[in-house]
Amino acid sequence: MVLPRAGVGANRSGRLVEKAVAAGKLSRDAAAKMSEAEKLDLIFHAGLSTAQSVTAISGRGVGMDVVRANVERIGGVIALHNQPGRGLRIVLRVPLTLTIIPGLIIRSGGLHFAIPRAAVVEILHDNNETLHVAEVGGAKIATIRSVRHSMIDLEDVLGMAKSDQAGPRAIMVVRSATGVPFALGVAAVDNHEELVIRPASPLVMATGVYAGMTLPDNGKPMLLLDAAGLANAACLPNVADERESRQVEENEEHAAKIEMVPALRFEELSGEKRLIKLSLVERVEDIDAALFGRSGAQAFVRLDGRLVPVANGAHSFAADHVSALRLRDGRQEACYPVAAVLDIVDMPAVPDMIAMHGLLSGVAVIEGEHLEVLNPFALFAALPDGLLKEQTRGRCVLVDSEDGWTREILAPLLRQAGHEVVLGLPEEAAVDPADVVLCSDGNLSQAAEILGCRVVQLRASPRPAGPQDSSIYRYDQDALMAAISGARR
Amino acid sequence: MDQLYLLATLAGTRVAVAAHQVEAVVKLADISPVPGMPAHVAGLSALRSRVLTIIDVPALIRGRPTPLDQRGLAIIADISGHSYGLMVDAVHDICQVPEGHLPLRGQLDRAWGPYALAIVEQDGQPHLLVSLASFIETGLLAQAA
Repeated sequence: MVLPRAGVGANRSGRLVEKAVAAGKLSRDAAAKMSEAEKLDLIFHAGLSTAQSVTAISGRGVGMDVVRANVERIGGVIALHNQPGRGLRIVLRVPLTLTIIPGLIIRSGGLHFAIPRAAVVEILHDNNETLHVAEVGGAKIATIRSVRHSMIDLEDVLGMAKSDQAGPRAIMVVRSATGVPFALGVAAVDNHEELVIRPASPLVMATGVYAGMTLPDNGKPMLLLDAAGLANAACLPNVADERESRQVEENEEHAAKIEMVPALRFEELSGEKRLIKLSLVERVEDIDAALFGRSGAQAFVRLDGRLVPVANGAHSFAADHVSALRLRDGRQEACYPVAAVLDIVDMPAVPDMIAMHGLLSGVAVIEGEHLEVLNPFALFAALPDGLLKEQTRGRCVLVDSEDGWTREILAPLLRQAGHEVVLGLPEEAAVDPADVVLCSDGNLSQAAEILGCRVVQLRASPRPAGPQDSSIYRYDQDALMAAISGARR
Repeated sequence: MDQLYLLATLAGTRVAVAAHQVEAVVKLADISPVPGMPAHVAGLSALRSRVLTIIDVPALIRGRPTPLDQRGLAIIADISGHSYGLMVDAVHDICQVPEGHLPLRGQLDRAWGPYALAIVEQDGQPHLLVSLASFIETGLLAQAA
């Protein structure tokens, strides 16, 4: 039972000390030597109140001395936790009088005891491989799965003789409401039962190791052990395995640090299971296998009247229909045929193992399975150039629009390269400075230069006519393309 | 004073207990020991679905526990809400003592000091008048010390 007490609690202990000194119950010297907890304990002295004065409300309650006496009379414990500025927390530990609790019946030193099942974290036999008990200077340390616990044998705490036994002893990891878990060695854990708990007499409670008693079917009274009391009686140090807590902290930190993103888990056509960031997947659809095709190394698929590149190069399938991921990086589109789409999982934004190669960015462990993660950057970077080009370039003005070669060969080439092609000079001299004028007539090129735009002059013969001839041979594609793009700069 | 007293032998000494303190006198059945307790707490015993804390009074007085085979009778008493069984050697009589209790005289053994309240005379024999609660309270004090 925890009572968060109203009030600020700030410097409460200081005020208690002042009051105690003023009341002549404490000397200044003694007060100086007191620990914070001891100062707080002054609250239990009869006749001390932190209230400045007795008013209609303040200072009229039952004294804490009376509270403690009554709590202790029924075998309870009262504890104070002062949090300056946040108030005083009063913890009342009241014995489980006449309540029914699930309990474990344990045997030790020829006697039976009960222990609340809620206090038991786990039970092992002492021949368990995950358990290692070391003894140093009389202290026993049980290491269970690399977590160290203080270990006590119940017989030692209660001053009983340890009886020889054939089988292994049982080690229980016990955690009380307060304090850290510890290992408790007993002869055996016999049974578990619902126990009616009665209060034990003050004589028995005074030992501090019992929380009550119960009368089982066999008519022999049995004592309920108090886990915290046992730890106190054995004077166990109240230190948790720091490594454990550190690990927990680290894990927490780790958990906080790892950013998880939703990912689509799918099976590749080749059978591997892989992940791809879900946000890249525009949709998943079944596509008719006949729509896939290939040109050179590049596979594509015909979708909605457009050709969409196939990211993984697959173009022939066994089935009539194939599941495909439609990917989009915001501008570009790609299609990624897969064998099956499995599910959506959370994956770390940064894969657990970074291994950049090909289309993969690394390996992530999801639910105990290691899965390769597709690298969206590599995926889109590998898409063919031509399809990526947008009509951002200027127009190519083909002056010789009547010429068959210009019309049938040059224009399609330029269009394919992503240029906008205008046949013939625009009617109303709207030649943009960004436009490139292509012509084969030297006079026209001079005229165009006057207009202020770049001119690429083409010639029919492979060789230049003279040293001043800056024209380009019309079948020299590289030079032509370079000239067009250079003209734009 | 016309009071009822239970006359018994405790640790070889004749004692008298005010009868209103006594709930019953029973023959002790099984006692389940309570480890970790001082020697004068013999253990727990069930009596008609009640659990008694059995106090080995002779141990409290003489400082050594009563052997198991000499454990016979116990006075059952309800002391501050809990049931106790106080072991005695023998129980003789319950009788009225017309004179009531008399002040303690002579040099009393220090072991009896905390428990003896007065003298009760019956048939010319002095009996120490003891308070059952004192056995429990002194036991608690001894434990706390």
